[in-house]
Amino acid sequence: MILHPVDTILSLVLLSVLFAFGASRLPVLIKVIAFQGIVVSMVPFFIGHDMNAGGMVFTFATLIIRGIIIPMSIYVAIKKVDIKREVEPIIGFHASILCGLGLIVAATYISKQLNIPSISDYKLLFPVAIALLVTGMFLLIARRNAIAMVLGYIMMENGIYLVGTTISIRARHIVEFGILLDILAGVMIMAIILQNIKRTFDDVDTANLRTLKE
Amino acid sequence: MVEIVFLAPFITGIIAFFIPKAMGRRLLVGTGAVHLFLSLLLWKNRPEAIFNDYFAVTPEGLLSLLVISLLFFLISIYTIAYLKESEIQNENIFTGFMLLFLSTMTMVTLSDHIMVMWIAIEATTLASAPLIYTHRSAASLEATWKYILICSVGIAMALLGSVFITLAMDIGKVDAPLSFSALTLVAKQLDPMWLKAGFVFILVGYGTKMGLAPMHTWLPDAHSEAPSPASALLSGVLLNCAYLGIFKTNKIMHAAGLNDFSGTILIAFGLISILAAATFILKQNEYKRMLAYSSIENMGIIAVGTGIGGIAAYGAMICMIHHSLIKSSLFLSSGNILLGYGDRFIKNTGNMVSRMPKTFVAFFAGFAGISGFPPFGIFIGEMFIIIGAFKTGHYIAAGIFILSLCVIFAGFANQVMKISFNDSDSTKTIGLKEKASLVWPQYILLLTSLVLCFYMPDTLYQTIIDAVTAIGGGLK
Repeated sequence: MILHPVDTILSLVLLSVLFAFGASRLPVLIKVIAFQGIVVSMVPFFIGHDMNAGGMVFTFATLIIRGIIIPMSIYVAIKKVDIKREVEPIIGFHASILCGLGLIVAATYISKQLNIPSISDYKLLFPVAIALLVTGMFLLIARRNAIAMVLGYIMMENGIYLVGTTISIRARHIVEFGILLDILAGVMIMAIILQNIKRTFDDVDTANLRTLKE
Repeated sequence: MVEIVFLAPFITGIIAFFIPKAMGRRLLVGTGAVHLFLSLLLWKNRPEAIFNDYFAVTPEGLLSLLVISLLFFLISIYTIAYLKESEIQNENIFTGFMLLFLSTMTMVTLSDHIMVMWIAIEATTLASAPLIYTHRSAASLEATWKYILICSVGIAMALLGSVFITLAMDIGKVDAPLSFSALTLVAKQLDPMWLKAGFVFILVGYGTKMGLAPMHTWLPDAHSEAPSPASALLSGVLLNCAYLGIFKTNKIMHAAGLNDFSGTILIAFGLISILAAATFILKQNEYKRMLAYSSIENMGIIAVGTGIGGIAAYGAMICMIHHSLIKSSLFLSSGNILLGYGDRFIKNTGNMVSRMPKTFVAFFAGFAGISGFPPFGIFIGEMFIIIGAFKTGHYIAAGIFILSLCVIFAGFANQVMKISFNDSDSTKTIGLKEKASLVWPQYILLLTSLVLCFYMPDTLYQTIIDAVTAIGGGLK
């Protein structure tokens, strides 16, 4: 069996998920997210259903925003407002990695059951997409640091982007556009709120945000 | 030209950021009036959109649009008086985002393309988040953070659902535009498994935004922390917009002959929401949170009605319209209570009947309406849903439904009586003069609900019937 180049780079993404689960410091996590962003937005180049000039430019713009601009701005933000660098896990790192492994296995198993004709050449595409989705959500739940939560959200969006741009040809550009808009505006607003959380509580630990209940 | 209805508030919203306060207030009301006028034109002419791949005028969209327009206009009048009484920093940001919020919600009602719909609903989240954070307190910060995070994750699920629907098209080898109206026509050829998966994800995603339990946790916080005009908009129309996404997907499901599947899920989520509201409303000690839980209840009622179909689907539409009218009036009244007593807790209010008589009339009438008393419209809507449930043999669902409504009524009534008739600390003065513009918007909203109960214009009736026929509803 010959591995498609897409599968090769996607296997790196799977490893990066595990790496993210073990990362205890924010800068490391940001680098992992940046790496994932770059790889995920490179995939459409390889699965070029109908890659015209406009599509090329669009995909390239996505790559720059996802892989460079968003991670850089988060990195600059934590430097500027002097946020603590630890991710403050609710579920410990070793347990997280174990959970991550379990989630990846489950994702692979589920996508084996589903038969999607348009991407049957790429063995790892759907498993990686589902894995990114669930692990992003896991990160969102299992970390108390607000920035780590935002990073988990971006990871989830990476997974959806992978599904959206590869599964179906017809909606591709509008999906790309939508997600891009969403993630840009979403991250921007989250960043503004983060600054305010930092100013109000002098920390971005979401344990401070526990007064509203029921 | 359909697009102008959401472009106009978008442009004025941008302008509002840069002009002086007083002009911004005038712009708010002016845009509200223009928007109402444009919506009425749209009702009359029903034109084609310029980008007709993406936008279309549909009966259910028109209903929501008219509700949005009317509510926004009345709320904007109230907002001016409210802004004069309360201290809000950066008023420009508030008015600007109110208008952007209006623009994005209008876009939801007019969008026909699945992805454009998704983008529009996500945009409503982004435009309304700054409104919740208007008071800049630690609690409002927490509410905003919760709102953004929970809704963004929810909406991401809806995106995944939308992608699954495109997959259902690919597998079924359907070549049609990715719009709700086109897909409804070819629904039978779509792959049923992926269509079902798509529906479930879309229901969970937009359901988060609509406030269906157990994804409702952001709702009470956001509604209680936002300034009252913004809460009225959130509860009165934003929830409807999210419901519209579910409604349109349900239309495809119905056309594909999968309405049993979608109906069962809708009924389940609806009943869970009603039960959750019944559990939490009993021990609420803040009146705005109490109103927020009542919104969750009503969204549950609408979901149940839509799920049962037939006459109940008609009832659900009636409930949607009247809930918007009555609940927004209640939130505006709660704004008066907050300004008057200066406190959000029920225990620190009291004796409203003599201390704020005009607000009392609006609040109490609104309470009667929302609990399903005649002569307000929710009574008719709930009646139709219960009849529909019995007709189709959903006896257990109907039992849970009726029981929960009783519990909610008891809990709600208990708190409203405390606010209205309990002794209050008479040394504290009421810090609010009940000006006409602080009570008349509520009166008009309630009167509209009252009138619609006895006399419904033919065109409105026909539009509701057109909307619900597509999901197997009607007065049969």
